[in-house]
Amino acid sequence: MTPPGPFRPGFWRSPLRGPWLTAALGTVLLALVTVVALTGFLSHAAYQPDLRGNAIVDPAADLPLVFDWPTGPSWLYALTQGLHVNVGLVAIPFLLAKLWSVIPRLFAWPPVSSPAQAIERLAITLLVSSAVFEFVTGVMNIQYWYAFGFNFVVAHYYGAIVFVASLAVHVAIKMPVAVRAYRERGVLRPLRAGLAGTRPEPSDPHGGLAPVAPAEPTLSRRGLFATVGAGSAALLVANVGETIGGPLRRLSPLAPRRQVIGSGPNDFQVNKTAAAARVTREMTGPGYELVLRGGPRELRLSREALLALPQHAARLPIACVEGWTTSQDWAGVRLADLARRAGVPRPASAFVRSLQPAGVLSKASLNGDQVSDPDAMLALRVNGADLSPDHGYPARIIVPALPGVHNTKWVASIDFARA
Amino acid sequence: MTARFRARYGASPLHLLAHLAALALAAFALIQIAERPAAVRIALWLGASVVLHDLVLLPFYSVLDRAGRRAAGRGVNYVRVPALVAALLGLVYFPVISGQGAPVFRNVSGVRYEGYLARWLLVSAALFAISGALYLLRGRSST
Repeated sequence: MTPPGPFRPGFWRSPLRGPWLTAALGTVLLALVTVVALTGFLSHAAYQPDLRGNAIVDPAADLPLVFDWPTGPSWLYALTQGLHVNVGLVAIPFLLAKLWSVIPRLFAWPPVSSPAQAIERLAITLLVSSAVFEFVTGVMNIQYWYAFGFNFVVAHYYGAIVFVASLAVHVAIKMPVAVRAYRERGVLRPLRAGLAGTRPEPSDPHGGLAPVAPAEPTLSRRGLFATVGAGSAALLVANVGETIGGPLRRLSPLAPRRQVIGSGPNDFQVNKTAAAARVTREMTGPGYELVLRGGPRELRLSREALLALPQHAARLPIACVEGWTTSQDWAGVRLADLARRAGVPRPASAFVRSLQPAGVLSKASLNGDQVSDPDAMLALRVNGADLSPDHGYPARIIVPALPGVHNTKWVASIDFARA
Repeated sequence: MTARFRARYGASPLHLLAHLAALALAAFALIQIAERPAAVRIALWLGASVVLHDLVLLPFYSVLDRAGRRAAGRGVNYVRVPALVAALLGLVYFPVISGQGAPVFRNVSGVRYEGYLARWLLVSAALFAISGALYLLRGRSST
């Protein structure tokens, strides 16, 4: 006997639900989450967790999917991470619509009719919970609401693995159903009908998506897609300015990083202030010396000595994992020059330590290509002025295409590792 | 052989193999989480995600939509669409609109995040105003 309420087949009455609608929403959603997942795993690789001090996810418990992150084009990480965050936002309305389209299945009765169905429902539960979890934690993280009480990077990373695994099997199992729906109804034909021509899909007692007792339509399928698309467009426009940067930043009304700070050379977005990092004036004062290790003997250079070395200039972006970007004109000493002076002309990697006393980002390693890139530098000045304390005075790393936080500020020492 | 498997299991052997492969990978990830100190909290958030969406958010907006359909009749989409877009913006940008992340943000960035509630309300007002104008232009003739 079927229990009452949502378990009754006649309860779900929307005339738009059916295999075609779910297939169409699912196809769009699949394209979007593929971009989000790929760029997410690329970001994990961009942090080079295989190098000393970089791993946030324990390397012993990680998938072996790491490669040397390139240094060009310089906007590479701004692009991949901008896509991750903004396409993620665009996907949210499609995820909600997709889940709405299949909600009758949650109340299918009997809940389990075969071992195959039981295992499939387990996988679907993992898929829905990991999908919602990934979007909720990601959206909270870009807005600095760390209410979850667990390490975001670790949870978001392993959550993504659960999501991708359960999504892959779901796509494999449901692909024939979607193909059949497209074959029977046409891929785009249902979108041509206006409200007057909108008919329910034929009800199928086994599929359980199309209604057995459809109500009168109040919206066409085209209208539903337009509405979901409008939601996506709104979420995108509200945020994307912080990814593009420059004057467009202000045009996104709800972007967390939309502030234009001022017109001075150091007036651009700060990821972490000197005060928050507990870097004091005593640490960065006249007694400051950069320590270079790895060669025959340790080399110590004051800021004056660094300024006396050949200076290189380049316009490079800082691209944050949260999806915002800011490009500035940097000047300083090439990392390759520092490596040569330290006595390690072609290092395999470089371990950079900050004056910042504690924290995950008080240290970061660069790979060999990142050290030898001609635009990679220890920046001393920005936009024609000395770095401000918040931007890393006396010296900070700037490497093209590097994730923002690995451009270590307040550099205390660099250990070059021999090849 | 395959027919007997199908009768007992309810699908082809490939269905089982695909699920076992996926579930094994998911189990790998979940076990890594389980070994962390915050494991219970992560599991709670994973469980809450599906429950809050399927049994709270979806029924909530469905009931709201039904009430809206009754109240607004055939002009419902002129209310429904801007309300949905405004609600989506409000839900996704809830942390900045409500100022939940403000203390952390101020500490790390050195600037404040301000005016998000006001801007969200202005955007919402604009959405309803545009929809109202469209209704005046073409909606009334068809209702």
